[in-house]
Amino acid sequence: MTLLSRHAECAFWLARYLERAESMARILEAHVAFNRGRATDAPWAWILALYADEENFFKKYPEANAENVILYYVTELDNLSSIQGSIRAARENARALRALLPTDLWLQINDFYSRILAFTKSDFSEMRLSRTCDNIKRGCYAEIGVAESTLYRDEGWPFFRLGQFIERADQTSRLLDVQFAQRAAGMSELSPEQEGGFWNVLLRSASAYHAFRRVQPSGLKPMDVARFLIFDSRLPRSVAFCASEIVRMISQLRGEFRLRNAQRAFERSDAFLTQLQSHSRDDQLLARLHAFNDWVQTELTLLTAELGNTFFGHQQTTPEPVSTQPPLETSSFFQTQAKTSSQFQTQG
Amino acid sequence: MATVTVLRNPSTAAPLDTYDPGPFFCELLGAPDNRNRNLTTLWHHLQQMELPDLSARAKDAERELFMLGITFTVYTERNAIDRILPFDLIPRVLTASDWGLLDAGIKQRVKALNMFLWDMYHKRHILKDGTLPADLVLGNTNFRPEMSDYDPPEGTYIHVSGTDIVRDAAGRFLVLEDNSRTPSGVSYVVENRHLMQRAFPDLMQGHSIEPVSDYGERLAGKLAEVAPPSLVDPQIVLLSPGVFNSAYFEHIFLAREMGVPLVEGRDLYVENDRVFMKTVAGPTPVHVIYRRINDDFIDPEVFNKESLLGVPGLMRAVRKGTVTLANAVGTGIADDKAVYAYVPRIIRYYLDEEPILPNVHTYICREPRALAYTLDNLEKLVVKPVGESGGYGITVGPKATRAEIEECRERLTRNPANYIAQPMIDLSVCPTLIEGMVEPRHVDLRPFAVTGHDTWILPGGLTRVALPHGSIVVNSSQGGGTKDTWVLRGETK
Repeated sequence: MTLLSRHAECAFWLARYLERAESMARILEAHVAFNRGRATDAPWAWILALYADEENFFKKYPEANAENVILYYVTELDNLSSIQGSIRAARENARALRALLPTDLWLQINDFYSRILAFTKSDFSEMRLSRTCDNIKRGCYAEIGVAESTLYRDEGWPFFRLGQFIERADQTSRLLDVQFAQRAAGMSELSPEQEGGFWNVLLRSASAYHAFRRVQPSGLKPMDVARFLIFDSRLPRSVAFCASEIVRMISQLRGEFRLRNAQRAFERSDAFLTQLQSHSRDDQLLARLHAFNDWVQTELTLLTAELGNTFFGHQQTTPEPVSTQPPLETSSFFQTQAKTSSQFQTQG
Repeated sequence: MATVTVLRNPSTAAPLDTYDPGPFFCELLGAPDNRNRNLTTLWHHLQQMELPDLSARAKDAERELFMLGITFTVYTERNAIDRILPFDLIPRVLTASDWGLLDAGIKQRVKALNMFLWDMYHKRHILKDGTLPADLVLGNTNFRPEMSDYDPPEGTYIHVSGTDIVRDAAGRFLVLEDNSRTPSGVSYVVENRHLMQRAFPDLMQGHSIEPVSDYGERLAGKLAEVAPPSLVDPQIVLLSPGVFNSAYFEHIFLAREMGVPLVEGRDLYVENDRVFMKTVAGPTPVHVIYRRINDDFIDPEVFNKESLLGVPGLMRAVRKGTVTLANAVGTGIADDKAVYAYVPRIIRYYLDEEPILPNVHTYICREPRALAYTLDNLEKLVVKPVGESGGYGITVGPKATRAEIEECRERLTRNPANYIAQPMIDLSVCPTLIEGMVEPRHVDLRPFAVTGHDTWILPGGLTRVALPHGSIVVNSSQGGGTKDTWVLRGETK
């Protein structure tokens, strides 16, 4: 049975919103971890900088304090970056896709959604936030797990995977940009001992600390951590791992499912992977990490648009040429984060 | 035959000990003057159960329906609220001879109505010779001149119909209403059975029951029969208004059971009078559309111009014969409440047979004598507007207040053609679990008939039960629930 364009798009966004909810839980957990053992709490505003949400946020809230930022990123249903908003959006996509989903997966999604909605304000207090985030993460794992063990492997599967890995690559690149965002939010430079703690939290936030230790038994150099999170081909959350998975899924659409129109998307994803790998030899990567992250996020946005044009039946806009040169100038620290409409589902 | 060996505490009342169906026909026990339906196996099973246990299991069953998403959806501004149709665990049983009669009667009715529709959209013999008043059809808002001289494959207009049937105090089956447009409810028939099998296998023990789970396969087979000719493997789709439709669960259910894509209007388009769906591999031709969208919204080129649910150009493709719509456009004249009154005559006219299933006697208020009788007997009659569905606008004379009767009289006098009246039928009852006790509640029956080249009827159908005490309105929008409906094979034991 051929897959409707609309259903492919729903599979893509179902996975993407689940991954997003999980990532948001990771970021909030990371913030709590940053504050552990510090005399004064770090301000919450950096999370807004990380997602370029300042404008939107300050339309609704006067102050970026803990309570407001948590509200904004956890319970605001209209905010598709918030945890509850993402999970609701995931469920709406699942509902549209219901005819193709195994009952087990639908039950899991419904059950998770009702648990998430049942959280009360106290679950999101700073005291309990970490525990709640962990709970949410595990709920997302369970959904992906049920999908993995029950979804029929037709054309829908590569689209589900693409949503998952495009979002994950985007989120990992944002995680690498935390320091930039913190400085943009006015936080002072870290002392050398704080610097070590910072990269430690970052690794743990990507569930990558122990994996890193296996590769680097001692030391925690920022450059090594950054390289690990970007280039390691065995780390499921590294940008390169996600990029190879993206290429693999698109080539499966082109090969196994004989979607000839997949050629352009394949070329774009393949070029992205090649260019990404070429940066692994860059000694100055840390200095231009922010520009690099911007480039990753922009490429992912363009790839999402390409999928929209080719498979989801979106209006054909003038296609961006597949770039050959990544724009890797050392940029000002105050260049804004990439944020484009392709990070959200178009309303049909 | 295996028997249930649960021992009941003799000090507590058995579920049916206090059950009294009163003056009504009881679907378990039989007629008031002869309580002998021979459904003793079920009776014994029920009697061996403990009421608190039964209630607890009923609650679990409803929770399961909710988690499975077997729901209809009520949308508010901010949220989608999913509600289940209340499920009652005590099944409604039809014997093999009950079913033989219903099956033959409904087939006859569907056949006559399809012939009637062909006639209406071709030569209109029945109007010309005065058997049916012409304006009743031609002046009907559901008459679609766009369908004139279109020949649907196999002459079938009504591919899926739901016939609402009630049973009077004597146990006689009467047809209350035809549903020839997009009748819903069949998903509950199948899901209720599945739930019954999971949650109450002890009640089913020792019964041989006609299966219902092949509905999707049967439906897909019948729809393939009406595909445009000379196609080897026609592409069937189910066209839904989308997730916001209250019957969306049923659309999902049917698409899954048939193994066909669940599409919305925006997934389809018409090019050169052919219908295509947009897939990841590009355009794919579509040949049969089981549509769950009303005529009005199906093609903005022809009907409601504002409709975003439909497919522009669809009617052109239909008329070219490149695609078949099920049900066909224009079937609303066959299930009109005023035309209903003439169905026995329609059966005689086209088939030259006596109706196997009688109608409920109906007064057509557009006729002066019937109007006069209705106005004189409002407190005895059920008055229904002809255009409404869902049980809205009905005045049940014997249960109405003085003020309601007067309001009805006023509406009736202002626009008599908009109403029909029927004597109140003492609907049959079925034992039903109400707040921990088994009480009689009124039921109806909606069997589903599927027609391609010929007609197949899903054994049983949807039994709706009016849950409020004394109520005879079974619609889900008005406090109705459902029951599993069993058709027993061969003789009952």
